[in-house]
Amino acid sequence: MDASLDGVPPEPFDNLALDIARFQFAHVPAFARLCRARGVDLDKIDSAHAIPALPTDVFRLARIAAHPSAQDRRIFRTSGTSQGQEARGEHPLRTTSTYELGALRWAERMLWPDGRRFAVVVLAPSASEVPDSSLSFMIDLFVQAVAERSAYVVHAGVLDLDCLQNFISDAEFLGLPVLVLGTSFAFVHLIDNGGGRYMHLPPHSRLMQTGGFKGRSREVHPDELRRQMSVIFHLPESHVVGEYGMTELSSQLYEGTLDAPLNGGIETKHGVYQPPPWLSVAAADPVTFEALPPGETGILRFVDLANVDSCVAIQTMDLGRVTKAGVELFGRAPGAMLRGCSLTVEELFVKGSP
Amino acid sequence: MCLLRAGRRIQDPADVLGQEARLRLPEVTGLTGQSIELALQEHFETNPTDESIDRLLASTSQAPVCHLTLSANVFLAPLRALALAVATSEIVHVRPSRRDPVLTELLVRALAEDPDFSANGGVVQLVELVCPEPGHELHLYGSDENLAAIMSTLPEGVIVRAHGSGLGLAIVTAEDELEEAAEALARDIGVFDQRGCLSPRFVFVEGDAIRAESFGAALHRALLRFSEKYPRGPLDVGLQSEMAQYRATLEAIGTYWEGPSHAVGFAPNPRALALPPPARIVQVVASDDGNPEQLLAPWIRYLTTVGTNSETGLSQRMKEWLPQVRWSRLGNMQRPPLDGPVDQRTRATKTAGWR
Repeated sequence: MDASLDGVPPEPFDNLALDIARFQFAHVPAFARLCRARGVDLDKIDSAHAIPALPTDVFRLARIAAHPSAQDRRIFRTSGTSQGQEARGEHPLRTTSTYELGALRWAERMLWPDGRRFAVVVLAPSASEVPDSSLSFMIDLFVQAVAERSAYVVHAGVLDLDCLQNFISDAEFLGLPVLVLGTSFAFVHLIDNGGGRYMHLPPHSRLMQTGGFKGRSREVHPDELRRQMSVIFHLPESHVVGEYGMTELSSQLYEGTLDAPLNGGIETKHGVYQPPPWLSVAAADPVTFEALPPGETGILRFVDLANVDSCVAIQTMDLGRVTKAGVELFGRAPGAMLRGCSLTVEELFVKGSP
Repeated sequence: MCLLRAGRRIQDPADVLGQEARLRLPEVTGLTGQSIELALQEHFETNPTDESIDRLLASTSQAPVCHLTLSANVFLAPLRALALAVATSEIVHVRPSRRDPVLTELLVRALAEDPDFSANGGVVQLVELVCPEPGHELHLYGSDENLAAIMSTLPEGVIVRAHGSGLGLAIVTAEDELEEAAEALARDIGVFDQRGCLSPRFVFVEGDAIRAESFGAALHRALLRFSEKYPRGPLDVGLQSEMAQYRATLEAIGTYWEGPSHAVGFAPNPRALALPPPARIVQVVASDDGNPEQLLAPWIRYLTTVGTNSETGLSQRMKEWLPQVRWSRLGNMQRPPLDGPVDQRTRATKTAGWR
């Protein structure tokens, strides 16, 4: 990972992806079945994007791991759905070291390229409160990596505004920049309930927001949410950075808006996400799953070299477009038009709740 | 009786209303002409027994006006919805589905042309908007989300009977002969292209994975035969996309048989059930694999019907567990008697009004 960040990958991406895929073919039965059903011989393909991609739903229905459950050290689970706890997707890991290395190295580039240390305030539950949340695990990593001091201000789903305000005041007094990490719906609760409080952050502060709403708050357009965060925290909009991740992946993408001013990177717009060099993203035709040419909109398929013990190629139902500038996300692909009273997948998604 | 006569006119290909129905329905429903004819001839409840009618009447209450809001439901559904509405009130205001207004319009036209109906004081009016007042009844059909949105706008004191979306479950018992059960179930799946809330989406096969997989293969063959006579209608891109995802999912966790108009997935030892897209696609599970009650628990609130040929074993357990759903034999899941709402899960509620 370090080498690839320096622009000197140890091996071509396709070779690494195919090596991992062959390992998983031998040890992950669901992936092997998918390859056989698709008639794909992994020894006869030479492109990572020719690897059959496992739909994210499979993580809910079968164990996706190259190791026996006795070796599990951590299991990340998707958030609850209307189908109950037992229907949550699971991503078992026998080691978190690859995940940790990837998450930290890419966050260093995209969130703190200036190498600062922060007062870190988290608008999300801690990993001790939700040990199966990959987001909370990642945020804890960040806290350990860059925090001079830290506070978690969401407990049992409730945002503690007094605690947040006091933490910011203390940071200002100590002259520490603040790194705010949180979920989109927590920020919406802040907008709705934090009216009038002074929360201007000290210079060099920044904010990372992630995740959708899924019924946990009202929906707010990303542009509007960013604008409101910028006003409430008195931050330049470039310092409000979106993150995209999912339980089934081990790597994350970020908007590159901090990279340009702080690291001399290429200037990018909000809404365009940057994957790390060990994650390749392509848009696929939603019906045939064939890779689309750059710039065309389709459902996103990820080849994540950090998914060593699960499945290297993941197919989502998220609509997006991949260009030279990065990955644009357009939300979940529209489902079937509602015809009749038969329950639809779309309805289930809409009813999703924690 | 007037409404049943109206239905029979639409059923009759020689009647002017029957001809108009056959002309307009393929476009608005997306079903093929063969599927529409099958539904009209064999699944349109125009000859109910007296006992059924008595039960339908007993399932309703009385109101000065009954308002009816229909969605693009199974295209035959307006007959039952109107039957319940006219049993509730002599004055019925009906807002047809914007996408599929055909059967409602034809039934209302037939009633208007029937002198017996108006002579008995009946009035059924097509309206653009329903405006119920306190004490009126409102019968709502549609997705749960739309129903909730409509109900939030109502004044206090309206009696609402809301019918949302749902799904069916089939149980192949230990005594069933697999080919026969598959033949019967193929029709339950195929009619209306599986768009009804009674359409089976999951099939539990009593026994081990080998028996369940054999049933999956038999069902695939039966659906192939059914589809030759009654092909599936065209699919929108969203549905095709969901089908592609479902196919890849089932290929990864089990076996997937696909025909030009259907698919059958079999998953041994599933951790959970994956909802098949409503396009003549079902998931087959062996009852010996895991705990059927546990697998079904998340789906209970959506279950409207169970099809089974016996009341022993798993069926018996399910019947004790699911007293509120319709029960029928395999092959009859899409032929519910005209004895009340198709969906028996719902009860009338009185609105609390704006807050």
